[in-house]
Amino acid sequence: MACMWYPIGFTVAANPSAAVVKVNEDGTATLLTGTVETGQGSLTILAQITAQELGIATDDVHVVSADTDATPMDTGAIASRTTYVTGNAARMAAEKAKLTLFEVAAPLLGVKPTQLEAQDHKIFVKGFPQRNMHIGDVANHARVVSGQPPIGSASFNPETLALDPETGQGKPFGTYVYATQIAEVDVDDETGEVEVIRVVASHDCGTAINPMLVEGQVEGGVAMGVGFALEEEMLFDAQGRHINPNLTNYIMPTSLDTPDIEVDIVDSYDPTGPFGAKGVGEPTLVPTAAAIANAIYDAVGVRITSLPATAEKVCKALQAKREQQPKQIGTGAALDGAASINTAVQ
Amino acid sequence: MAEKPKVIEKPDVLERPDILKPQAPAPLVAFPIEVVVPEGRQQTPAVGQRASRADGRLHGLGQTKYIDDMYFPNMLFAKIKRAGIASARIKNIDTKEAEAMPGVVAVITGRDIPCNSFGPSLKDQPVLADTRVFHAGDGVAAVAAVSEQIATEALEKIKVDYEVLTPVLDPLESLKLETPGVHAPSANIYGHKVIKKGDVEKAFAESDHVFEGTFRTQMVEHVPLEPYACIAQWDANGRVTIYSTLGRITLGRADVARTLGIPMSRIRIVATVVGGNFGGKNEIRAEPAMALLSKKTGRPVKCVFTRSEEFTSSTTRHPLIMDYKTGVTKQGKILGRKIRLVLDGGAYCSWSETTLGKACILSAGPYNIENLYAEAFVVYTNKTMTGAMRGFGAPQVCFAYESHMDDIAKALGIDPLEIRLLNAFDEGSLSPTSQKLHSVVVKESLLRAAKRFGWNGIGDGVGNGNGA
Repeated sequence: MACMWYPIGFTVAANPSAAVVKVNEDGTATLLTGTVETGQGSLTILAQITAQELGIATDDVHVVSADTDATPMDTGAIASRTTYVTGNAARMAAEKAKLTLFEVAAPLLGVKPTQLEAQDHKIFVKGFPQRNMHIGDVANHARVVSGQPPIGSASFNPETLALDPETGQGKPFGTYVYATQIAEVDVDDETGEVEVIRVVASHDCGTAINPMLVEGQVEGGVAMGVGFALEEEMLFDAQGRHINPNLTNYIMPTSLDTPDIEVDIVDSYDPTGPFGAKGVGEPTLVPTAAAIANAIYDAVGVRITSLPATAEKVCKALQAKREQQPKQIGTGAALDGAASINTAVQ
Repeated sequence: MAEKPKVIEKPDVLERPDILKPQAPAPLVAFPIEVVVPEGRQQTPAVGQRASRADGRLHGLGQTKYIDDMYFPNMLFAKIKRAGIASARIKNIDTKEAEAMPGVVAVITGRDIPCNSFGPSLKDQPVLADTRVFHAGDGVAAVAAVSEQIATEALEKIKVDYEVLTPVLDPLESLKLETPGVHAPSANIYGHKVIKKGDVEKAFAESDHVFEGTFRTQMVEHVPLEPYACIAQWDANGRVTIYSTLGRITLGRADVARTLGIPMSRIRIVATVVGGNFGGKNEIRAEPAMALLSKKTGRPVKCVFTRSEEFTSSTTRHPLIMDYKTGVTKQGKILGRKIRLVLDGGAYCSWSETTLGKACILSAGPYNIENLYAEAFVVYTNKTMTGAMRGFGAPQVCFAYESHMDDIAKALGIDPLEIRLLNAFDEGSLSPTSQKLHSVVVKESLLRAAKRFGWNGIGDGVGNGNGA
């Protein structure tokens, strides 16, 4: 078992993101963002946030990203910040475009802009959903009649407070996420080989904008954590040259080493995030190695104090533990008392 | 042959063709026969939908264009010569023989870089090492040729004269002030952070038990499927377009502008769909060198790292040495905690400052600890540089504080779940930096995970093969 906390965004330093949302004449939209899709699905999340604010579907939002000529600045796909920071910027930019749509729609629906809401591809009067216009009709009217193209731009920077240089006191991050992972392992007490059978991962990410992508992040993070816990290590010779710079000698988990991963999303809502969302990218890996090390301790009573917990290291620790123990034949419970927490391995 | 009519005469129920049997539900197969188009993308409200990704279909059909798939007319291929020595002074680089090779179009060294230093905080990384080599993966020259093979062969013809120096490899050795500086004349400690709250010594004196532990973690690589790659194209207007696997194009453009000494308005950086980042692609690598090779040759130049370069010449995860000392009551309540972290920072600073900060702030764990002293150092060594990697020091300190927690629980005879619930943050708890925390669900996550797992307290610790 291991639990953790992890911040969203950079340490103290300003880490803003900006975004531009353009609503097209048919009610679809384009989001411009400087962040980069690195495989995690962040552009889909940003499309969902933009769509939610405009009351349209994810598929209606096209995302243009990662071109310094075309897209606004972004601190980048780093520090688990895209959903929270860039997401907030995208939501605020979409809100501005939406307010233009409301201004255009208000006289057509005979109400004030503040009385309008956008949902399900429609702009309607709060409390009177039957008085509505299709968002495409409003957007087209905005361009061809009102001359007010609905475009919004915004930026967001998490509120932080510099740390005192002496005591380190301050507010380094906008928000944090929390998680617990519990691993089940099978340790071969003759060879020291550890197999991770199952990992239960309960993660807080604020509102899950897309639960499927949260699950994907957790599964990937746990797999990476298994490698960190048991196998991966860059080794150097006495002259400081890396001796295993290849995938033959640098051992990584394959799909066969990946345990059953049970993802559990903890209900949570962060009022400072877009629609209550925080983030999930990095934290998924944080508690895995600790949970596995504690599971090894629980299984065979040896404490691995240096990662990775290779078979060789676990085997040595088991041998050391056996040597320390008085030789006696008895039940497991009788031996338990001798399982010292000082059985450290280096 | 004789059995055939027998079957026809006496049909056996068990021998009936499969088609006549009641249909069993189809087993799950790796390649679904029917492509189900998820509708989440089309639905409103958009938030909360299990929407499929816009890029999923292209990935699935193998149509995503990574840099290695991109080609421009007349494009050249570049390779970088690596030092292969952890610490050395460069006395001379002779590129004449390489330049004379048929198919080689241009060769550059560190001396060709207008401003040969970059970095997200300390500007201590050269694009190509010119006078000193600080780790074995440092590049010393770059070759552009008509094919990758010729570029690779040309690297062998580049003669570098080194004066080999003794490398500093152990971070604890590096921490000592008398150890020669990796980046002399400065000392090797290039970052230091303290988080101080309450009075730890007093807390230890008031504690029923004080526990100590030392934990270490190793250096690992991000190992993205797609290694670092870029293509630079310098046009006749003096404007350069760089396609890159960078995860941070805003910072990347600033670094390229600085190293090339040209205005930002003359640089366009386009990040392609990246085949995995995990923190390893958050700063420029060969972009300025490729831009200069393109400028020199008037042709687009592509560089894709080999797997070996991805290991030795890109950033890695900081190895940590972590000393923990914790005072607790008999019931397991933490009264005080003292932590010392030493981060092996490798040859260059890169994202060490952020890693140092996060590691130090998070090192106490998600627990209410009124008396805390956490101190962290990051030191230079002549090893592959460490930088941003998924978790920025958090997986390392989590390994330490959670292992330590189970040791304490075991010694006190308390269930690991209980000791965590006793100490964990609540809504409104103050963090180690005295930040008031909101939307805190650490206890919920503990209880939900325990329930889902079927947690029934601590195991017997003797090898029941079912550890948790």
